[in-house]
Amino acid sequence: MNLTQFNRILRQVFLLPIIALLITAWALYLQVRGANETVRQIQEADATIAQVAQVAKLIIDQESGLRGYEATGDDRFLTDYRQAEGSIQSEFNNLALMVQFDDTQRHNIEDLSNGYQNWHDAFALPIIATVRAGGKANDVTLNLYGKTLMDQVRQDLAAITHHTEARRSDRIQQWHRQVRNMVEALIAIALGMGVLIGLFTRSRLNAVSSAYRVSLEVLGRRAEEIFQSEQRLRTTLASIGDGVITCAADGRIEMMNPVASDLTGWPQAEAVNRPLDEIFRIVNEKTGEPVDTPVAKVKRLRSVVGVAHDTSLIRKDGTRILIADSGAPIPDQTGEIAGIVLVFRDITLERRTQDTLLANEKLAVAGRLAATIAHEIHNPLDAVSNLLYLMRTGVSEEESKQFIDMAESELARVTQISRAMLGLYRESRAPVPVDLKGILEDILLLMEHRFLELQVTVQTDLPSPVLVDAFPAELRQVFTNLIANAAEAAAPGGKISVGTSALAATPKMSSGAVVVIADNGPGIPEEVRSQLFQPFFTTKGERGTGLGLWVSRGIISKHGGSIEITSNTDHLTHGTTVAVFLTEKPTIAAGHSQRAH
Amino acid sequence: MLQNSHLVLCVDDELVGLKVRKILLERAGYQVLTAIDGASGLSLFEAEPIEAVVLDYSMPGMHGGEVASRMRGIKPNVPILLLSAYIGLPIEVTSLVDLYMTKGEGAPVLLQKLESLLQQPVTAPQPIR
Repeated sequence: MNLTQFNRILRQVFLLPIIALLITAWALYLQVRGANETVRQIQEADATIAQVAQVAKLIIDQESGLRGYEATGDDRFLTDYRQAEGSIQSEFNNLALMVQFDDTQRHNIEDLSNGYQNWHDAFALPIIATVRAGGKANDVTLNLYGKTLMDQVRQDLAAITHHTEARRSDRIQQWHRQVRNMVEALIAIALGMGVLIGLFTRSRLNAVSSAYRVSLEVLGRRAEEIFQSEQRLRTTLASIGDGVITCAADGRIEMMNPVASDLTGWPQAEAVNRPLDEIFRIVNEKTGEPVDTPVAKVKRLRSVVGVAHDTSLIRKDGTRILIADSGAPIPDQTGEIAGIVLVFRDITLERRTQDTLLANEKLAVAGRLAATIAHEIHNPLDAVSNLLYLMRTGVSEEESKQFIDMAESELARVTQISRAMLGLYRESRAPVPVDLKGILEDILLLMEHRFLELQVTVQTDLPSPVLVDAFPAELRQVFTNLIANAAEAAAPGGKISVGTSALAATPKMSSGAVVVIADNGPGIPEEVRSQLFQPFFTTKGERGTGLGLWVSRGIISKHGGSIEITSNTDHLTHGTTVAVFLTEKPTIAAGHSQRAH
Repeated sequence: MLQNSHLVLCVDDELVGLKVRKILLERAGYQVLTAIDGASGLSLFEAEPIEAVVLDYSMPGMHGGEVASRMRGIKPNVPILLLSAYIGLPIEVTSLVDLYMTKGEGAPVLLQKLESLLQQPVTAPQPIR
């Protein structure tokens, strides 16, 4: 049932009694009108009786006057007679008018009128004439005749009165009947209307009540659904391995899951309703400076935000853990921010694993180079030891001089290689000015034999020293990696080129340098290119760790630079070019090992 | 000295090392032919009556293992001594040759090993044809 239907029922329930009362009033009005008519008729009868009495009085007045005159002959007795005679005809007319619709009465009145006229004409007038003439009018016969006539008049008068009274009593009875009927009808209508209104109201209210029940059921079901949905979300939240905190738009915590509670060290009950900044205190791991909370950031950017690397969370007990986190706005129906959800996890272990991986990769690079270095050292050593043996077994002076020269040149080779190797593994604590040309030359020297083995020719473009501030050992690791990749891609019989040049400052970038390492190998297929910088991705099977480029990019990022790889698999122009951009004066936090991003 | 005048082929891409080794072996009484890569070594091996080969492992183009395997295909009974600057060569390479040693072990070891290799065919069950 909707609101319109409900309003209709309300209107019906309001109007029905009014209509019922109107009908009742109309019925009552009709009844009362009928009763009034009866009362009027009763009054009419009363008036008729009074009129008859008036006529009777006039007739008696005449008779009394006549009798007085008859006895005395004095004219004064005739005063009343004459008065009555003057008005009696109009009174007769009045009476006739009153009963004009009643045939019996009209007939009675005619009889009365005739009887009177007979008495008047046949008795009264002759008596008066006789007396006036001086004669005697005490004749019995005549007087008996007059009495007979008057009796007839009296009889008529009585008949009229009787008839009228009978009618009057009929009317009174009718009035009583009408009143009774009215009361009965009133009771019947009241009962009927009451029952009708009752039934109708009941049916309407039933409809309302069933609609209400349906609404209640729907509400109940909704509540159950909401409860279940909330329960589901709650369980989901509780089971998630990451910490999750939801905040209202003002930054107050509404909910946090057990993992969040563990990570922050704040029990859920204590944290709820507190400002997020109080519970989720984050600082830069390196500088210790407070970091913008994600709430402020989400509000500002109105989108999902991640938090900078190297963020530490200060737990309730003051200890710190490294975290990775992100925040996202919760929009309401109008798209406004209704809240913010924060997801974070402890990456301390992950970071340690990452550091171990980086160290391992460094060792792997070292191991690969060690084989090359062993070769580079053993060859001259073999020559020198053979020369010494020859000299001990007896030589001419000329031979001796020749052998010493040869031994010296071989030893010089060893020294050079050992120097290059030392440079490769010397760790420095702070960035120092590094000559990229020198580094690249050292690496090429160490790898010379590897190039021969792979039958790769190397073309260099190292015209002059290029200086940048950097950690030299780390840059050597990167370039060794990239050059080895190029040589392996180009082999056998291929060509690689290594070059470096300084870059002047542009509006976008400060001054720096670029190192370009290119090969004419088969190129890198497009589908592989996007994965190149992912850890453990390798195209070399057992021979690769899959960490080289990942680590290299980490190192270069730390140096404020970037690595760009362009590759071409076209069968005529195939090849890969790796460009490493470095800034001249990067801002590198000292004293921290490099970290991949 | 006469019993020592065997013809030995030395193959190595290290020019100084090769030159010194030639002098050393000649002083020990051997006749020495040299080659600076696998391909030229193989052609000498095929053309000359080589009695023993001193072979370097790590060389551009064709490494020692491959050269040894081809030499076995040409003259299976010529003893091969593999010299390497690396330690721990793969087994499929070392199983091809009669002996192998690491560079830098010294001249006496080389001479002694070469001599022992050249004596083997005499005591071998199958005489040289």
